[in-house]
Amino acid sequence: MASEARSDLAPRRRIVFGEADVSDFDETNDLPVESMPLRMGPSHPAMHGTIRIELEVEGEKIKTSDIQIGYLHRCFEKECESATWTQVFPYTDRLNYVSPMLNNVGYALAVEKLLDIDKKIPERAQYIRVIVGEVSRVADHLTCLGASAMELGAFTVFFYLIKAREWLWELLEEISGARLTHSYVRIGGVVADMPDGWASRLLDVLGKARTALGDADKLLTNNKIFRDRMDGVGIIAKEDAAGWGLTGPVARSTGLAYDVRKDHPYLVYDRFDFDVPVGTTGDNFDRYAVRMEEIFQSMRILEQALDKIPAGPILIDDVRVALPAKRETYNTIEAMIAHFKLIMDGIHVPPGEVYSFTEGGNGELGFYLVSDGTGRPWKCRVRPPCFANLAILDKVLPGLFIADVVPTFGMINMIGGECDR
Amino acid sequence: MAAPTEPQELVTVIIDGKEHKVPKGTNLLEVCRSVGSDVPYFCYHKGLSSPAVCRQCLVDVKGAPKPVPSCYTAVADKMEVTTNSPKILDIRRQMLEFTLLNHPIDCPICDKAGECSLQKHYFDWDGKLARNEGIKVRKAKVVDLGKHIVLDQERCILCTRCIRVCDEVAKQSELTMAYRGSHEVLTTAPGHRLDNPYSLNTVDVCPVGALTSKDFRFARRAWELSSVPSVCPGCATGCNIEIHATRGKIHRLVPRENLAVNKFWMCDEGRFEYKAVHENRLLLATMGGKRAGLDVAVAESARLLREAVAKDPGKVGVVFSAMATNEDTHALVRLALDGLKIGRAYLGGKPSGWSDKILVSSDKNPNTVGVERIVPPPLRPLKELASDVASGAVTALLVLGNETLTLDKSKLSALVVLSSHQGLLVEAAHVALPIATWAESHGSFTNRDGRVQQIHAAFPPRGEGMPAWRAAALLGSKLSVDLAYASAAEVFADASARYPFLKELAWATPSKPVQLRFGDSRG
Repeated sequence: MASEARSDLAPRRRIVFGEADVSDFDETNDLPVESMPLRMGPSHPAMHGTIRIELEVEGEKIKTSDIQIGYLHRCFEKECESATWTQVFPYTDRLNYVSPMLNNVGYALAVEKLLDIDKKIPERAQYIRVIVGEVSRVADHLTCLGASAMELGAFTVFFYLIKAREWLWELLEEISGARLTHSYVRIGGVVADMPDGWASRLLDVLGKARTALGDADKLLTNNKIFRDRMDGVGIIAKEDAAGWGLTGPVARSTGLAYDVRKDHPYLVYDRFDFDVPVGTTGDNFDRYAVRMEEIFQSMRILEQALDKIPAGPILIDDVRVALPAKRETYNTIEAMIAHFKLIMDGIHVPPGEVYSFTEGGNGELGFYLVSDGTGRPWKCRVRPPCFANLAILDKVLPGLFIADVVPTFGMINMIGGECDR
Repeated sequence: MAAPTEPQELVTVIIDGKEHKVPKGTNLLEVCRSVGSDVPYFCYHKGLSSPAVCRQCLVDVKGAPKPVPSCYTAVADKMEVTTNSPKILDIRRQMLEFTLLNHPIDCPICDKAGECSLQKHYFDWDGKLARNEGIKVRKAKVVDLGKHIVLDQERCILCTRCIRVCDEVAKQSELTMAYRGSHEVLTTAPGHRLDNPYSLNTVDVCPVGALTSKDFRFARRAWELSSVPSVCPGCATGCNIEIHATRGKIHRLVPRENLAVNKFWMCDEGRFEYKAVHENRLLLATMGGKRAGLDVAVAESARLLREAVAKDPGKVGVVFSAMATNEDTHALVRLALDGLKIGRAYLGGKPSGWSDKILVSSDKNPNTVGVERIVPPPLRPLKELASDVASGAVTALLVLGNETLTLDKSKLSALVVLSSHQGLLVEAAHVALPIATWAESHGSFTNRDGRVQQIHAAFPPRGEGMPAWRAAALLGSKLSVDLAYASAAEVFADASARYPFLKELAWATPSKPVQLRFGDSRG
């Protein structure tokens, strides 16, 4: 219908919300610009993670935002106090449930430091910890990239990357017995050695994952739709990253080259050659690019580790820390007592406190533990990386459009299990 | 028992490089442990003599040609002691290796597992796997040693604590060691049994699971039990005990150290006091022997008492119980004597029994002294009650306790019984209200020496049961007697302001049950 015809109609009704001042109206767009509350979550189809974001929008523009977390709170820290030191492992699986191995390793290292056995962990165990940890990191980043791409409409990419993640998780299932909740690491080492042929299967999978990543790269990196929604959106300044305590890919996207593996090497990370990719602008695309590159760097570490891994035991030789072999337990009173005490009382960790931190999937994963000399943690506090990373969202979101929430939140990669504990 | 040394002059000893001033002649093992240098032991026991047979507590004393057993050494001036040198740690480990050499692999089926000294010391001081592949020496597994005790000779580590308990505490030498070397066993003389009134103390002192109580055998794993400090209700001695219970059921009573009362011991009879807590209980209020709602029963008791008192308070009787706590007794005094002005008070309780010069009193009630001090005289003996009822001197009764009495009910206009157990009197009562037992209440007992000792509830009262002081308060609220007590602590505070013997006593916060798995080894 021609526009002239419309001029014949009665003047269009002006919609007034509440007690809005007439001067609030933008005459050119004829849109009401009075702010409106908008609640995203806790269940939202385009957000992976149970979280509620309370937005105040003016039209499509976000004026303020309020991040409300806690929907996945499970009293993790309190629960640890009634579990033996070893029984905490299954709980850590459920922190960042996309990369449980990294949590297992981080917790084990903290307890080992408290026990003062961190220098006595068999080398093979340390290599295996690096390997399963890096496999987990790759899986973590694949999930983040795949899911975020899907939320922006790139469903194919999601399938490619999640397929690659599934190959990796099948390998982790093979080594630990569980696809997701591995509980594979033990204080003093790991529970089982790599199965026969596991290393070569891992190399095969890495090759296939590279192909999948190449496909995803072709589909995304120079894709106009994808770039439009990522470039220049959700910019975080380098100073803010440092000031807000951001770590991991989110911090590195701003140019802050902080990686615990490089800056405070643990396990045997100082023996591997790998780079820490950093971004320049700190926008969503940088976070995407940093994660993409980190996957390749993790693969580099994996290849070197599989190449260098020595033979030897996988668990410390100390019956006060690690369970003796079943053959010993059933046939000697010494091992029987050790088994009994470890199971019923728990490992006797000397009184003291420790803060131990590792590079988790989302950044610095810290464990602050206090022991009172009994077989249970007196206090177990977690520094979840995505808790700090998420906090800056309140600062980033205002000024963006509603549609920007999805990629920005996606690239922060909040994991409820870890953030809410 | 080792002759206690009078604390005389202080001497200076150096333990692991640190100087300490201690009374001359103190036991070196005790000194080491008190200053934080942990020295393990099996055969030593604070309440027994030291034979120094287990060799776990060896320490280095400067100048001595070889390590000395600290449990057998008195401190002397300028003594320099090392408890943790590599040599000493090695000796400790080697002694444990010997001890474990023939020890059976019994932990999964052993009653002591979880509170076993051998497990604890192995984990703390050894931690090395077995080196021998030889076959262990087999000994007798289930030896019926006495009325309450089963012996497993394979588990025995030959510390002789049980022998000394019989010799020094029960004063009946019944146990001994026989044979030599790895064939040495604990046994009784041929044809004799371990049968003294203190035999179960051998189970407590046994550092391993060699001596087990028939009563507790395979009943519960030790770590499942929760412990509450209490006082034995078995006689007027008031031995300090721990109640070990789980899920509202007591599984054993064990003695708790109190040097002024029972030292480390208790009699076998006292240990079985817990059985009554779970047997033949009155759990719901009854009226005329039939189940009635608690509210209805309380209202009916109040009505009966009000009418009886209105008629002639001098012909109403109240029966106190020497089994009840000071708090229950005081609340009943406030209700019956102060409030209702009831004229005749009687004292009930268990009849007297045997006694000895060690721990057992002939008075089998835990609180006779307390009740006698709280209830204003005259406090008539219970045996007068039946004739008083028959003669018409008493026409209505309020009874606390589970008395075995046969009264001529036709002569009573009201018989209100507050009882924890079923019985003749409960069946006969117009109204019976369920009362908590000693194991379910907070309160205090006064023992034969006038020592007031607090007891703690191991679990809440079963059924509709409540402490007697609460029942008194409930009746009080219906009878316009102001007894607004909310806790046993409040009753105690009220009582201690009134009776000189309770003055200046502090009421400790009620202990909550502590699960034994979180405690240290009791071995």
